[in-house]
Amino acid sequence: MRHWLRSYSLLLKWTILRLRTTLPFMFIVQTLMAAGIVLGFAFLIPTHDRVTALYLSTGAPTVALITVGMVLIPQMVAQQKLRGLFDYQRAMPVPRLAMLAADATVWVAVALPGMVAALVVATLRFDISFAVSPLVVPAVLLVALGAVGIGYGIGYAAKPELAGIISNMIIIMALMFAPVNYPAERLPDWFAAVHQWLPFQYMAQAMRETIDVPATGVPALPFLVLAAWGLAGLAVTARIMTRRA
Amino acid sequence: MLLEIDGLTKMYKKGARANDDISLEVDAGQVLGLLGHNGAGKTTLLNQVVGLVKPTSGTIRIDGRDPVADPAMARRVCALQPQAQAPLTGITPRQAIETMARIRGASRQRARQRTDELIEALELAPWASTVGEKLSGGVQRLTAFCMAAAEPGRVVMFDEPTNDVDPVRRRLLWEQVRALGAAGVAVVLVTHNVIEAERAVQRLVILDQGRVVAHGTPAELRGQDADRLRLEVVAADEPTAHRLAGDVDAVEPAVVAGRRVAVPIATGTATATLAWAQEQRDAGRVDEFSVTPVSLEDVYIRLVGTENGADATEEVGHAALAA
Ligand SMILES: Nc1ncnc2c1ncn2[C@@H]1O[C@H](COP(=O)(O)OP(=O)(O)OP(=O)(O)O)[C@@H](O)[C@H]1O
Ligand SMILES: [Mg+2]
Repeated sequence: MRHWLRSYSLLLKWTILRLRTTLPFMFIVQTLMAAGIVLGFAFLIPTHDRVTALYLSTGAPTVALITVGMVLIPQMVAQQKLRGLFDYQRAMPVPRLAMLAADATVWVAVALPGMVAALVVATLRFDISFAVSPLVVPAVLLVALGAVGIGYGIGYAAKPELAGIISNMIIIMALMFAPVNYPAERLPDWFAAVHQWLPFQYMAQAMRETIDVPATGVPALPFLVLAAWGLAGLAVTARIMTRRA
Repeated sequence: MLLEIDGLTKMYKKGARANDDISLEVDAGQVLGLLGHNGAGKTTLLNQVVGLVKPTSGTIRIDGRDPVADPAMARRVCALQPQAQAPLTGITPRQAIETMARIRGASRQRARQRTDELIEALELAPWASTVGEKLSGGVQRLTAFCMAAAEPGRVVMFDEPTNDVDPVRRRLLWEQVRALGAAGVAVVLVTHNVIEAERAVQRLVILDQGRVVAHGTPAELRGQDADRLRLEVVAADEPTAHRLAGDVDAVEPAVVAGRRVAVPIATGTATATLAWAQEQRDAGRVDEFSVTPVSLEDVYIRLVGTENGADATEEVGHAALAA
């Protein structure tokens, strides 16, 4: 465990050094994007009742995490593959999971201000208030785990060019074609059924129902589904990272 | 023995035999040079030792332990400078070397001290604080060398550390390789720089198509060549070159390429041959000449041959020198 933590903190330092020039830029883009989703979608949807407002204001931080985990991470992994960073990482005497955790920490940290910004903008724009549960913290972490796990899985398993395409499809899916920013009832039945098997609606639900707890309380299902997706993604990643030619 | 390799064979899927029944040993404090053509299987061998590639058959022991069963142990005990250029984007040589030393287990103080030492020894100070994307290829390569050498563990392996490096710094680098050996580390050094490698290594292994074709100290590899010298003459023109080639008191047939003549001569006849060459020059038949010991490169080429079996030289006399 000491070895793990030591490796983690050194790798974290390495990652921050490596990314220090791009990080501020990422911060800004992420924050603007999260706030932009709230404001932009408000233009798309002319009338906002409380449900619409709630979906938009909690969907934005969800999309922020999805972008980082399932778009930025696969693209970064693809780039690292091309640059030969893996030959180096593979020969380092560090636990594989510590390597992922160090990377993921930086990326999730990049998404955090955007999530807060989205909520602040939403309260101002829609004049809405939330019944926030402390469970929002594990919810954020689980959504992050799910997104990051899947993201690494794609980055490691797919060829670099393919990873870029997949991640672009994911962002369009999350923004427009998933019950994240609007309720699932608005989708055709067959498509809503497909989403039962995808992680997006569970990510949105975990965020939404911990930021504004429904009368029935915080549900357990999305947490379980997200944990499963996250672990599956990490398992694929670990398998590929330790595979020997 | 710190590193023992026995009967190691590696066949990649859908590939040829990259390593074919390789056996070798490296003890603490020894520097082993690994030579061979492109594709001879050198990188494959190193990758198996650090547990990145799985052998098809044969055994590897690092201090008695098996890197195939325990790759994490192998990565802890062995430092490797991979053949690929180090990823230094956004990070300076000093940061890269120091952080890598820490990751490899050095204390903060030792990491800093080793980093300073190596930066000074390899004259990297002018670039020590320049980010990777602005470094020249040679400085990047030297940084990668330092990243492995700073905290070398018990076995350190360098895969072509002198590529892109200028002659002055190559010397400094060989100096550091020797120092690692002197400090008790087992060093494996892959290089194409056959002549210079001789200064740094105690023993050499020459690989060809995955097999060990020669193994020994530089003196052993020279064998009969040890008491031979090599006379090289640049004649005034080609016909003269052919005529002169027949005149030399040689121990093996001369090789003529254009105006150049290369002849192995016995050490005992060197004085007479030099006098002869001087006469030829005074007579205007020779532009320049030199006498040198047979280089390891000559030995290497004789053992491994040229890639396509022949080159632009033309044999005079009976047998071929570069068979
Ligand atoms: N991952 C791989 N899959 C299939 N074949 C491979 C793989 N890596 C190497 N080879 C093959 O194995 C042989 C040995 O390759 P290796 O990289 O070990 O050579 P090398 O001696 O390091 O060459 P160089 O001097 O060019 O670096 C080559 O024929 C190469 O094509
Ligand atoms: Mg190689």
